[in-house]
Amino acid sequence: MRRWVWLIFLGLAASAQGRLEAGAYLQSGVHPTLEAALALEEGEVYLRLQPGRGALGYLGSLALGPLGFLGYGVQGEVGEGGWGLALFLEGGAGPLALEGRLTYRPLRALPLFPEEGLWGRFFLRYRLAPKEVAGFLLEGGRAEATYALREGGTHTLGVGVAGVPYLVLGWKGEVGEGGEVLDLALRLGGLNRLEGGLYLGEASLLFILSHPWAGSLTLWLGDLGLEAGFHQAPYAWVRYAWRWP
Amino acid sequence: MRERETPKAVGWKAWGLMALLFLSLALAQSPQEILSRMVRNLDAPWQAEVRGEIQGPGGKEEFRARVYAISRQGLFRIEYLKPGSLEGNFTVITDKEVWNYLYLTNQLIISPKEKAQVSGLGFNPALLGNAQAMAERLDLRLLGRVSTPQGPAYRLLGQPKPGEALGFREVELWILEEDPRPVRFIFRGEGGQVLGDLQVVAFQRANLTPAGLKRYPKDAQVVRR
Repeated sequence: MRRWVWLIFLGLAASAQGRLEAGAYLQSGVHPTLEAALALEEGEVYLRLQPGRGALGYLGSLALGPLGFLGYGVQGEVGEGGWGLALFLEGGAGPLALEGRLTYRPLRALPLFPEEGLWGRFFLRYRLAPKEVAGFLLEGGRAEATYALREGGTHTLGVGVAGVPYLVLGWKGEVGEGGEVLDLALRLGGLNRLEGGLYLGEASLLFILSHPWAGSLTLWLGDLGLEAGFHQAPYAWVRYAWRWP
Repeated sequence: MRERETPKAVGWKAWGLMALLFLSLALAQSPQEILSRMVRNLDAPWQAEVRGEIQGPGGKEEFRARVYAISRQGLFRIEYLKPGSLEGNFTVITDKEVWNYLYLTNQLIISPKEKAQVSGLGFNPALLGNAQAMAERLDLRLLGRVSTPQGPAYRLLGQPKPGEALGFREVELWILEEDPRPVRFIFRGEGGQVLGDLQVVAFQRANLTPAGLKRYPKDAQVVRR
C-alpha cells in the first residue's frame, strides 16, 4: 500500500510542476526534513515529513488580477502525541489584507511543526489612504496595533500587549537599484525582539534576536538555505530546494 | 464647347466617385491596416499615462496608471496610481506570463497567460498597451473619424471574438491618424453601460530595459499559479 502511494506520488511528480525541499536539522542529533509540493490544475498538494511527524495538505487560491489574491489551505497531521490540523487563509483585495492561521497539535515537533496545542494568528491590515496602512494582530497570547506610513521607505509605529505592553518600531525600504530591500522591526517592553531581513534577490539574510536570549541567523543562497540559532539549545538547519519543470 | 452632362450622368459619376473613395478608404484604412500602422509606430519602447474613470465595485472611480512598453518583445508594465487602493500595485505582461504585484500583501502572483486573470477592473488592462493582443482577441471595425486635441483620429470598435472573455462587450478605440497610437479607450459592458473611459496622455518614446519593466521588490512572496 505504502509503495503504491509513493508510486502515485512519483508519477504525479514527473508530470506536474513541483518543488522538493530536503534538509537536515541538527539539534541533539541529525534529523532529516522533507517538504514536497505538486501543482494541480487548481491549487497544490503538499507533503511535510520529519522523524515522528508528517502532514499532508492542500493549498488553493483565488486570483483577482491587480485587485487582489486569496490563498487558503488545510493540513492534516499524524505523528507522536496524536493527530493535528491546520487551517490557513491569507491574501487581500482592494484596501484590505487578511492573514489567518489556526492550528492544533498535541506536541510541538521542531522544525516543521513549531506550534503546540491550540494556536492562532489573525492579522488584519487596512489601507487608510494610499500611503497609510493600519494593522491589527492577534497571535498566541499577544495583541498588537500598528500604523505604517510609506514615505520613501515604510515607517511603522505601534503598540502591543504580551502580558506587559510593548512598543513597535519598524522601517522597510529599498536599498538598491534592483529592488533590494532592507526590513527591520524592533519590539521593546513586554516583548523584546529585533528582526531584520536583507533581500538581494538571489541571496537573502534574515536574523531574529530576542530576550530572554534566543535568536537565529538564516542565509538563503538561491535554493540553498543555511540557518543557525539558539532556542533553548543551539541548532542548525540546512535545506536545499529543487523546483521543476 | 463641352457637352453638358445630364443630371443622371452626374449622379452616377458622383456615386461612382464616392464608391471609389469608400473603397479606397476601406482598403487603405481597414481596422487591421490601422492597427498594423499603430503596431509599427509603437515598435520602439514607449511610456504613457492612462487616466479616466472606471466602474468599480462601489461605483465610478478615478483611474490612473502608467504604462511602459517594449512592444517588440511583448513586454508591458502597468503601474496603478488610482484608485488609491491600487497604488503600488502593478501588472507585468510578458510573452508567456502575467505578473500581478500586490503592494499590501507584498506578493507577486505569476500566472501563465492563458490562466491569467487581469480583468478584475471590468476590462483587461493588458489591452491598454498591447495592440497585437487586441488584434488577436477582438473583431474590429472602423466607425469613422473624430477630432481630438492631439489631432484627427480613427474610431475603431472592437468586440471580443467568440470564446474570448475579456470582461466587456465592446471597446471603442481612438487611434491618431498622423502618429498612429491609441489616445482613448471606451469600454462598455453587456448592458451598454460605460465600464471605463480612459485617455492616453503624456505619451513619449523612452529608453526602457526588460529588467526595468520586470523589476519588483526582492522581499516579495512569489506565488506561481
